[in-house]
Amino acid sequence: MSRPFILSAGLADSRLGDPDWAAAALALAEQAWFDLIVLGGPGAVPFDPLVLAAWAMPLTSGIGVIACVPTPLSHPFHVARALSAIDFLGAGRSGWCPLPGGAPDGKCEDMIAAARSLWDGWQPDTLIIDKASGHYLDSSKVRASNHQGPFFRVAGPLNAMRPPQGHPLLIVDSDDPFAAADADIALVREPGPVAAQQRLLKTPIAANPAELGRLFDAGEIDGVHFEIVNPAAEFPELAQLLAPLVTPRAPPATLRERLSIPAPAQQQERAA
Amino acid sequence: MTRQIHLWAFLQGIGHYPSGWRHAGADPAGVFSMDYYRQVGELCERGKFDAIVYGDQLQSRGAGGRTPERLAMPTLDPISLLAAIGSVTHHIGLVATVSTTYNAPLDLAERFATLDRITGGRAGWNIVTTAHPASAPNFGDPDLPEKSQRYARAAETVAAACKLWDNPGSAVKFRGQFLELDETLSTMPLPQGRPVLVQAGQSGDGRDFAAHTAEAIFCPAATIDAGIAFRTDMRSRIAAVGRDPDGVRIMPGLSFILAPSEAEAVAKDEALLALANEALCIEYLCESLVFDLTPYDPAGPIPVTDIVAGTLLPPQDIARTVQPPADEGLSLGAFAARYVRTPRGHNVFRGTPRQLADQMIEWIDAGACDGFTLQPAYMPGELALFVDEVVPLLQQAGRLRTAYPGSTLRATLGLSQ
Repeated sequence: MSRPFILSAGLADSRLGDPDWAAAALALAEQAWFDLIVLGGPGAVPFDPLVLAAWAMPLTSGIGVIACVPTPLSHPFHVARALSAIDFLGAGRSGWCPLPGGAPDGKCEDMIAAARSLWDGWQPDTLIIDKASGHYLDSSKVRASNHQGPFFRVAGPLNAMRPPQGHPLLIVDSDDPFAAADADIALVREPGPVAAQQRLLKTPIAANPAELGRLFDAGEIDGVHFEIVNPAAEFPELAQLLAPLVTPRAPPATLRERLSIPAPAQQQERAA
Repeated sequence: MTRQIHLWAFLQGIGHYPSGWRHAGADPAGVFSMDYYRQVGELCERGKFDAIVYGDQLQSRGAGGRTPERLAMPTLDPISLLAAIGSVTHHIGLVATVSTTYNAPLDLAERFATLDRITGGRAGWNIVTTAHPASAPNFGDPDLPEKSQRYARAAETVAAACKLWDNPGSAVKFRGQFLELDETLSTMPLPQGRPVLVQAGQSGDGRDFAAHTAEAIFCPAATIDAGIAFRTDMRSRIAAVGRDPDGVRIMPGLSFILAPSEAEAVAKDEALLALANEALCIEYLCESLVFDLTPYDPAGPIPVTDIVAGTLLPPQDIARTVQPPADEGLSLGAFAARYVRTPRGHNVFRGTPRQLADQMIEWIDAGACDGFTLQPAYMPGELALFVDEVVPLLQQAGRLRTAYPGSTLRATLGLSQ
């Protein structure tokens, strides 16, 4: 399978609170073959991105919906739980972009570690749901995470199932980065190696497709990220501009399958 | 005009009966897919319900570190589910249960503000203080704050959130005994100004809190007399704090088993209860007592001393639950089987759609309530039966709207904006 050129759009406009405006923006992004919508951004979260992401799922069918999660106000129990629901509602199309947002050093990383340990408290094959025998789940596949970090102590287990993707896609924004070494995608200002599986270059709308294609072919980037302020004009323009770089995507699948990014192993498997 | 009936659907999990997920008309795997929520949202709008309410807890089901294997699990995040339902519906209100003890006011205010905006003014907040001791360790605390402290903090959290909603985009300062904030909510106004405030407390603290803050109240009422007593008490408490009792909707829970004849409904109820085998009943009792009973012999006596010593709930409350059946000489298994038959003190109706419609009208006319919080025994089958069979009878009787009066939840509830 050929490597996909990934298209990502950031939307941080307060008009996303208007359902008509938001629904139109989502539809335009899908029509323009985008892979990811990132709701909110560093220093600009004029709404609750997790609520918007849940709302967006039934209105979209293939695109990944990423919620920016500012650290200062968030608790990993609530965040892990919301993302589990959102990933189910979107049949595995969710992700998150934790933003330190001025929180003390290490708090964002601790939130990420706590959320991951909560998701890992449920193995993928926990549910049985057999009406005939009355067995709903296998409790040997559930464990309390007992996360003890510098900022968060979270007993678990989470009262939400492991998300369909295992872990929703983890995105790091280089303009407000956290220090976890194993993000799935990094949004970067310069091409080149970073501690993430895929790098998306933050690019102005007036992009140069030939240059982007060269960087992609050289393995310097895996795609691009645009900050969208005028969806009605910019999505069609970008679709036309980038058409030579975009290959057809497989039919709807999880976001990890669509972008060829495997889920991380569960913690107990890593330890074994 | 004859008094109108308000209908809410309380839809946490897969139904009100612990064994409901095993019924042929239940779709227990559906709660993990959008299709289920789309179906449920459409069903409730077809029934011209005011709102869907999702209950919530902040701990996983279980007791003593053991997760049950025969109870439907888990519960997904209510605001996320309601936001998704909101994007595929046009009128139904969306009431999410959110704790005042374990949420920062700005975070909570921002979540409801976004829900209200993106659904055109359909958000409601079921205000809870979190009463389960196993929630605390998920938030770094060994124990819950004491009850009156939780309610005092709840009052401050509600006041702070309301101040934020009343001033979107402006810096808001709030200083109380528990909370101190100087923060700014996102700028776009909320269509309803604030989400509709809902409350469910039963105790004196809870009733006083509801009298001051709630625009709708959810409560158990096992009989029409209990409903009248509760509503009369609440209306006088509401008037006593200078609010208009007609500005508050009182919505007791109503679980129901519908069938073409009363005998068939009773048989259907028995069949549903029979799906609760001994192991399920024991697990349900473990959860309710917050004590792991699975090591004990179901044929043996109720281990009263161990339960009272080991539960995380107030021991004297638990002693009042377990001592009488022990004195009767019931075995542990027999007690568990009996316990499953009386789910949580709510009214359970067994009969025909006509009988249920008549009973609902009787309650409304007696002043026992302003409407009902429906708790289907299993989902979505029993809710669909209600919408198909009972809703038309209520509409024919002129007791239930045939069209929504406006677009916001407050308009649907007939409350002032």
